[in-house]
Amino acid sequence: MRVLALEGEDEFFAALETRYLVRLPVLLADGSRALGTPGSAPLALAGGALPAKPTSAFFPHSGPLFSAGPEGVLLPPAPPKPLFVAGFTPRDLDCLRFIDRFFADGMLDDVYFRLRKGAVIAAVSGYCGAGGALLAPAGGGCDLEFVRDADRWLVVPYSEVGAALCSGLPDTAPDEALQRLKREGAALPDEDRTIIREASRLLREDLVPDSFWAEIGDRCIACTGCNLACPTCTCFGVQDWRYGQEVERGRMWDSCQLSGFMREASGHNPLGSEALRTRRRIHHKLAADVTRWGEISCFLCGRCDAVCPTGIGMLAVAGEMVERFGKS
Amino acid sequence: MKRTLTVCPYCGTGCMFYLVSDGGRLIGVEPSSTHPVSRGSLCVKGWNAFAFVHHPDRLTTPLMRRGGELVPASWDEALATVVERLKEVQRRHGADAVMFASSAKATNEENYLLMKLARAAFGTNNVDHCARLCHSSTVFGLGEAFGSGAMSNSIDCVDRAGLILVIGSNTTEQHPLIGSRILAAARRGTRLIVADNRRIRLSRHADLHLRHKNGSDVALLSAMMQVIIAEGLEDRAFIEQRTENFPELAAAVAPWTPERAAAVTGLEAADIVAAARLFAGVKPAMIVYSMGITQHSHGVDNVRCCAALAMLTGNLGRPGAGVNPLRGQNNVQGGCDMGALPDVFSGYQRVADPALRGKFAAAWGVAELPESPGLPLTRAMDAAAAESLKGMFVMGENPMLSDPDQAHARHALENLEFLAVQDIFLTETAALADVVLPAACYAEKDGTFTNTERRVQRVRKAVEPPGEARADWEIICALAEQAGYPGMRYPGPAEVMDEIASLTPSYGGIAYDRLDPHGLQWPCPDRSHPGTPVLHLERFTRGPGRFVPVAYRPSAESPDAEFPFVLTTGRTYFHWHTGTMTRRSHLLDREEATAFVELNPQDAAALGVRDGEPVSVASRRGQITVRARVTEMVVPGVLFIPFHFAEGAANALTNNALDPESSIPEFKVCAVKIGRAS
Ligand code: SF4
Ligand code: SF4
Ligand code: SF4
Repeated sequence: MRVLALEGEDEFFAALETRYLVRLPVLLADGSRALGTPGSAPLALAGGALPAKPTSAFFPHSGPLFSAGPEGVLLPPAPPKPLFVAGFTPRDLDCLRFIDRFFADGMLDDVYFRLRKGAVIAAVSGYCGAGGALLAPAGGGCDLEFVRDADRWLVVPYSEVGAALCSGLPDTAPDEALQRLKREGAALPDEDRTIIREASRLLREDLVPDSFWAEIGDRCIACTGCNLACPTCTCFGVQDWRYGQEVERGRMWDSCQLSGFMREASGHNPLGSEALRTRRRIHHKLAADVTRWGEISCFLCGRCDAVCPTGIGMLAVAGEMVERFGKS
Repeated sequence: MKRTLTVCPYCGTGCMFYLVSDGGRLIGVEPSSTHPVSRGSLCVKGWNAFAFVHHPDRLTTPLMRRGGELVPASWDEALATVVERLKEVQRRHGADAVMFASSAKATNEENYLLMKLARAAFGTNNVDHCARLCHSSTVFGLGEAFGSGAMSNSIDCVDRAGLILVIGSNTTEQHPLIGSRILAAARRGTRLIVADNRRIRLSRHADLHLRHKNGSDVALLSAMMQVIIAEGLEDRAFIEQRTENFPELAAAVAPWTPERAAAVTGLEAADIVAAARLFAGVKPAMIVYSMGITQHSHGVDNVRCCAALAMLTGNLGRPGAGVNPLRGQNNVQGGCDMGALPDVFSGYQRVADPALRGKFAAAWGVAELPESPGLPLTRAMDAAAAESLKGMFVMGENPMLSDPDQAHARHALENLEFLAVQDIFLTETAALADVVLPAACYAEKDGTFTNTERRVQRVRKAVEPPGEARADWEIICALAEQAGYPGMRYPGPAEVMDEIASLTPSYGGIAYDRLDPHGLQWPCPDRSHPGTPVLHLERFTRGPGRFVPVAYRPSAESPDAEFPFVLTTGRTYFHWHTGTMTRRSHLLDREEATAFVELNPQDAAALGVRDGEPVSVASRRGQITVRARVTEMVVPGVLFIPFHFAEGAANALTNNALDPESSIPEFKVCAVKIGRAS
């Protein structure tokens, strides 16, 4: 385990740029945090989950798939260097693990893996949540983890690459700090997870009536934000643009809260109302994925609840469900 | 990878977001988490605001008509032709034979420059923009009542209101991030009255949903006021201390008993009484309105009633209250503030006032400026149709789809001796032009937009414009140069704003170095002023608030045996106006790909029309074929068609009946017939 002083952050990450395309949390001019590049804005590793999902480094809002023209089919160029992406919270790591599995299963998504392959994943945890709150250390699932302890980062490698990258940092003398943080993390209450598991059970046992979804659906303004913000939402739309002789095919994040998402060629829509679509969004993560992938695919990152303008993100809906239909 | 903080180009809510770009191309959008309006959220249009920018249809070179075809031309040639031809029209037919149409989509700086170009370089007050079609009735009606036509309060007043009356606004679709706040407030217990006969989302959360007949707002609001006065629920102290002309109002509404209004509005008298008692019983109460109030041949009267109801109950000059006309376009407030209007300079300074004319003439370095107010846009189209207007310069507007009575609009534009259009796509209007100038879009230039709550915010360049396209402000300055007017040389938009601030009292303290991160709300008279969230606090801008009595006038066209349905028009959530941008944004276009008409199931059954079937809708002015959308959203006897679609243009049917005072057209009511398309 190594130590990185807060004053040393800039230098440490800037030095990685010779070998990597570095993406890490920065503080933008209006106080928003986002995935940025070293030197573009002050670093902001602390502050909790980034408002936008860090998986966008591999699966961006929109991007090219290929172009076809007189010269044949051209794939977008591979990145000049592998990516180094910091800023995953432990819950974000769960999301990344899930979509890695998803994009690799069956027909491998080459566009995703062109960016994902060889990428270094750095997590943040410890006392670096919103307002200095404690995020329980992940203890794996990444190449290296930056665990905030008072005014320093403990840097814990979990892969060879991770170990090599932090090998220049001073070693901690035998230090109890990480163990202490892990203990404190393990003692954190996890009510959210209890709620989401109970909501999942209610759905799988079909204990939530349609009237509930009608009520929730009436509050959805179809902004699509819940899907676009969610790290485990991986649906995309495809579009072709013709420039002269050349056709560019690109994809962009799609949303199952849109009517067009499910509309059949005939015009019929099996998910023709906000109620059905909202039910589907929640059901998919809490019930369908349990059957298909063996786990609930909401890892409680909190983004959909933060982005929904009318307060019907995953945790809010799950909470309402449990309160109304759960065991009293 | 780069993030550029800028303002959404769609509605007047004015959300700010970051445009994410990589290698000179936009790849996405991220909301600003700290912005006071958007607070980390966006609506579907905001999330997709990057999607049209690199579309292959973007205009990349100037075009000139040769042998009937629009063909690429050089900037020098195009600019010279525009100026020569407009000047030639003026030489032959007089200075006022040309019209400049500015744009609520363009920045404040660009609106200011276009009105300066019209007045200083071309010597005409014939300059206007699409505010004529949306809130000219507000500017007139609230100007008269309060001295300012702007939204009196701020968006965050929604969170503080005790009651919200939403009338003629489908807020969750048209101002989604204001609508979502109203929805959230209603869930917290804020009382909500929705007056709109469409079953809009907010109505499902309302304490009271009034589905009054189209065009009967004056009757409804007069009767509410009658009940309030008859039951002694008015705010006597406010009326005495802050207003004038109350006895005249009381006399005008006295005959409007709930029973009489029930007959006109189609409501139950008891519902009108309930609405009046509810409204008067909760403070602070906020009135929110939009096109359902303004777009009538009696739009100004509707606005007067809203103003009177708020004053009657003491709901002005305090947080959580007010009269709040939601501005549609991203910068329609700014377009008006900048004087892209035929009768005023920036800051609503009248051109008829010799002292103000003198002030602007001196600042602009011209001997004199034209004195008599110019033509409103709608009257200019009539003048072109009547061949008294001969030349037109259109920046970023598409009257072929947005103006009432499309056949009339086409006739007017085709009649012109010369038409120049400056835009980002070849719109239906640009296709008729003699010269087309390619412009940069919002993501490719700097400037400011002013949102519906008077918040002046920075628009920033994220990527380069395509091909030879240039920012509107650069093109306007180049035209001034070409016209031999040396008074429009600026290093950039910041200096244009400095000039605006020096000449416009309400913008006196606006400067780029003060607008970070999230803008300032005017009035902001000097550099130390923090901006003004709530207007009319101690006194109204004009002094006392003025009650203006109105008489009920029915809509210009009523259903009859031949045209038995009422047609009302508007927008959908997924598209913007004439669709130039949203129909080129994949997800938005996929969501609403075709023109449709909303039709009540009862009417559909009577006509034998199935959902999704093509139907023919015709008025006295035209006929279109669109798909039937059979829905409880509309009441029997009423149809709704959005105006986005060129292939099913709602405005082929609408009535060019204008409000006598504001010249706004009656987009909300005309008589039509409908049947299965054969
Ligand atoms: S909390 Fe919301 S955004 Fe996060 S993983 Fe769960 S569903 Fe997705
Ligand atoms: S974020 Fe909320 S309002 Fe937006 S689509 Fe999702 S559930 Fe609907
Ligand atoms: S509410 Fe209006 S300003 Fe905000 S994102 Fe939507 S269209 Fe843009």
